[in-house]
Amino acid sequence: MRLLPKQENAILASPMVLFLLVLLGFPVVLSIIYGFSEASFESLMSPKFIGLENFRLVLQDSSFWDAGWFSLRFGVITALLECVLGLFLAVYLAPLIRKHGWMVAVLIIPMIVAPAMIGLMYRLVLHEFAGPIPYYFYEWFGWSPSFLSTGMVFQTIVVAETLQWTPFAFLLFLTAYQAIPNDIREAASVDGTRPWRMFWKIEFPQMLPTLFVAGFIRFIDGFRVFDNIYTLVGAGPGGSTTSMSIYIYETFLRRGEIGKAMAAAILLFIVAFAILAMGQRLMRRAQ
Amino acid sequence: MMLSRKFLCSAALAALLTGSAQAEVTVLGWPGGPEEEALRAVTEIYNAKADVAEDDKVELLFTSRDGFFDKLQVDLAAGSTAFDANLIATYSIGRYAPFLEPITLSDEAETVFGDTVLSTMQYDGAQYGVPTDLSLHFLYFRKDLIDALMANDDAKALYGDISEKYLGERLEPKNPEEWSWQDFAANALYFSRSVNPDSPTRYGTVLQMKNLLFNMMVFHSLPRSYGANWMDADGNITVDSEAYRTALEMAKMLFDAGATPADSTSYEYAEANAAYSAGQVAAMVQWNAAASDLISAQPETVTQAPPTGPEGRFTHIHGLGLGLNAAAENKDGAKAFLKWLSTEEAALAYARAGGAPGLATNTAQKLADERPDLVQVGDYASNYGFVMNGGTSKNALSIYEAQAKEFTGYWAGTQSLDEAMSNITASMTELLK
Repeated sequence: MRLLPKQENAILASPMVLFLLVLLGFPVVLSIIYGFSEASFESLMSPKFIGLENFRLVLQDSSFWDAGWFSLRFGVITALLECVLGLFLAVYLAPLIRKHGWMVAVLIIPMIVAPAMIGLMYRLVLHEFAGPIPYYFYEWFGWSPSFLSTGMVFQTIVVAETLQWTPFAFLLFLTAYQAIPNDIREAASVDGTRPWRMFWKIEFPQMLPTLFVAGFIRFIDGFRVFDNIYTLVGAGPGGSTTSMSIYIYETFLRRGEIGKAMAAAILLFIVAFAILAMGQRLMRRAQ
Repeated sequence: MMLSRKFLCSAALAALLTGSAQAEVTVLGWPGGPEEEALRAVTEIYNAKADVAEDDKVELLFTSRDGFFDKLQVDLAAGSTAFDANLIATYSIGRYAPFLEPITLSDEAETVFGDTVLSTMQYDGAQYGVPTDLSLHFLYFRKDLIDALMANDDAKALYGDISEKYLGERLEPKNPEEWSWQDFAANALYFSRSVNPDSPTRYGTVLQMKNLLFNMMVFHSLPRSYGANWMDADGNITVDSEAYRTALEMAKMLFDAGATPADSTSYEYAEANAAYSAGQVAAMVQWNAAASDLISAQPETVTQAPPTGPEGRFTHIHGLGLGLNAAAENKDGAKAFLKWLSTEEAALAYARAGGAPGLATNTAQKLADERPDLVQVGDYASNYGFVMNGGTSKNALSIYEAQAKEFTGYWAGTQSLDEAMSNITASMTELLK
């Protein structure tokens, strides 16, 4: 019996779907139950159904919107910076990497380090009295920027995130760049195309789908950032570095408002899902 | 057959040995640092006692300090039986009380610790824990710098000019034992290069202004000396008071004037200690636990009770201790261990092993040669220690969190003092209702 392509797809995807259902299904169902219930640590075993009340509380909470705005800015800026830098590194270093493949391993090292460790590392490195960076600033200029002061903390965490995750974008772009058939480049060269024009008119359009993928993955990752910011500066003065994930964490564990935290998590999931679906549609259109 | 019998015998013996080595009372302690070492030491003493049954021997369990209280909360709420007794802290007793059981201390407990220290482990009139370590604040200052200031007339005149400009009154340098918070602020300004370019230190003080609940505890000694409290006797929220406003404004003035590092809004215990240890800070208010590190880094350091205010001299106190998990599998064994921990024998052993119990004066005197710092801690706790009204309530931790958010927002300039006061009053009204 010959299976239709749709049936084949369903059969092939079923182990993964089953795996996700088993591993994620239970927490998701629990989250949905708590999201519609009045639940605290005392009433963890006996949540009381209250309909959409938690969603109303979340949507009326100015801290939720502040956290959303912070995550949006952070996600967009870091995704843009990482893609621009990653693309530049991939194109600029491609000839060198063709000769010395081991360079890739070196360049992706930051990606391997746990984000929480990155936060702790910067906490030490940027400390005015213990960190090497302020130390050399004082040695050479008699002054040092306060990297974690209110005016600079956003820029600092953006730089920290960008430095850690640019290698991810770089890796994707390098793969896409190397996948472009050399025949096209050679033909363009024979026709007298200059390198800059070759990049803009030939290579860049070929890499556009990868750019979308990298941009969306990095945006979603940046939007839900938690570890490195939390270990570096916490929620920030007046909650100024509170991302959506930090908001959910603090609502859940620090304030014990489990229902409200779950409602915020569900909203975050819906937004992330909508962005992903939109991204996919855009990507298909670009292809 | 022979082989299988041998195997079965070996397996049974191994099971017996394993069983006998397994402790029946599991205690979840505060990981890392002197608290862990001290708890290990007293547990050894307890387990070696002839009258402690094999089934009641204690085994210790340590995780990590990061997120400790969050993990503990989830474990307790889930009715975990992984431990019979666990760490509790003054500010979290109210939150954990539904999952704990009150305990009975030994008859000696009151003499050993005194009422103030025992009250740090009480909630709703019941004793929920045996106190093990007491935390309060010291004023740390560099005596060499203060002596040099006091000996120089030109420096004194400049000190007067600076205090007049920033604090609105002309002050003269004093010995730190006599300091009010105004003197503390004047000293902090004088020893800051942003105010006095010839200062021997970069900053006059270091304030811990990160949005973190523990930083609020350090800050509270200041507003309390101006009469601040969370609630009055009738349960009205009194945070929006002249006392809190004065204290918050003083901290902001020092921050804006550059008397504390510009990234103090990301500072907590470790960062503040690093700043002081680098020799670039003249004086600071910090936890007593930092004493040995700060004194060894800056040997001219002297410790003193925090400065005084119009309502007197105060230091926030809180205790760490061990309480009984309501879901414990061996409650009797755990109760026996906790009761023993409250005896003089255990408290002295704990102190000798590096712990910092809040001992009553007579008990602390027995260790005066070995642990002089404990005499000072006991003295300050009895004379200046305070817990805010509502400081052990169910939502005490959340109140500290809310204050940390609003007050740091004011210090960092993201909101006005009125906004901060309005927000925190609303939050505390909700949390303390």
